[in-house]
Amino acid sequence: MDERDPSVVAKARSGDRDAFRALVEMHSRYIYSLAHRMTGNAQDAEDVVQEAWLKAHKQLSRFEARADFRTWMHRITVNCSIDMIRARRHREDAHDPSDLEQGPLSERGAEAQPTPERVAASVQISDRVNDALGLLTALERAAFTLRHVEGMSIEEVGAKLGMKTSATKHSIFRAVKKMRAALEPFAQS
Amino acid sequence: MNQHLTEDELILHYYGETDADTARVESHLESCAECQSAKEKLHNVMALVDSAAPVEAPIGFERIAWARLEPALDRNARSGWRTFFWFPQWALAGGVAALVLAAFVAGRFSGGGAVVTTPNATVVASVEPQRVLQTAVDDHLDRTQMMLVELANADVDGADVLAGEQARAGDLVAANRVILQSAMQSGDAQVIDILEDLERVLLEVANAPANATSNDLTDLQSRITREDLLFRLRVIASEMRQRNRIDREAGDRLPRKMPTS
Repeated sequence: MDERDPSVVAKARSGDRDAFRALVEMHSRYIYSLAHRMTGNAQDAEDVVQEAWLKAHKQLSRFEARADFRTWMHRITVNCSIDMIRARRHREDAHDPSDLEQGPLSERGAEAQPTPERVAASVQISDRVNDALGLLTALERAAFTLRHVEGMSIEEVGAKLGMKTSATKHSIFRAVKKMRAALEPFAQS
Repeated sequence: MNQHLTEDELILHYYGETDADTARVESHLESCAECQSAKEKLHNVMALVDSAAPVEAPIGFERIAWARLEPALDRNARSGWRTFFWFPQWALAGGVAALVLAAFVAGRFSGGGAVVTTPNATVVASVEPQRVLQTAVDDHLDRTQMMLVELANADVDGADVLAGEQARAGDLVAANRVILQSAMQSGDAQVIDILEDLERVLLEVANAPANATSNDLTDLQSRITREDLLFRLRVIASEMRQRNRIDREAGDRLPRKMPTS
């Protein structure tokens, strides 16, 4: 089944399990990367992927055929990530930034067959950035990602996270300051 | 003009959210080399962030995702909200619906909302009990959410806001308990969890002392935030609305059979 065929979505909407499977197999890698960016770890990202597809399956009848399916899944995934982050918010006190070296780095094996050049670049850039992101609390990371990557306004981020605008601003300020402190030496070179 | 920009101002400027301060910030940046340098450093860091490759899924993840998802799809079809509302106890409707509606109607009356007479509601309940229940529960969640939003955003200097909400909170407690009982029968842990948390907060408001202080209000606001009540309530209310809409669109497919017990 050609996943790029728009009729795949239509078939999935009508309950065709194979069509839905084709959609899952086509978009799960993208969704995983997005979820990982939001949540900051592999286990949560996998859970978000699962939850996002369950939601998509339940809501598929409401998906408009003219809309872009990946964009729709992107929105669902962001929402599921936020749900997870908020549900786990209480664990933040136990968050230990010293996990930085074990946490994100331990997942690097998951990256897809990088070239030698990319490995070098990754060490210099991606790893540093991901390590820096690992310094953020879950809420700071969510607020920063929604503002910086998703391009939402601070007010929209606050609404999404159920926070007042002032609290959202401070989360973003703290996030950017941590990122800056961690990355400025590398940004200058 | 001599006052350097703060880091916060530079961050807001980077995101284009300095709003009314934009002209002042930009004017300062034009004339201050130090702040201009700080701005450039910030932009360099952000460029570095943007250049980072996303973490990719493990090889074969798409197949793993499907293998994990497929059994859950089947379970999902038989659980969650549909279970909650399809549970035989809900089909009983008459008694429970009347109780929910009683609380619902009482809340309406005390809240000064639309007038709904009990006889009419009872007739409706006998015709479409599940749908009436869904509507009543949905309304309860909406009204509770509305009150929590007001409390969460209330000015802490205006502690008398608690006194003003006591009657409304009392009505909501009554409705909450009836729905909680039914949720317990259906065993829906997510709903039970949120309803129990809601009841504690609602009771706190309903039983607030006449001389409640701003500290009492602050404590309550902290609890609303700490327990993520608004967020969790929104999630459940949203799922409710989606479910109701889907059911309406699909026609009334809810089981009509009477319970065996």
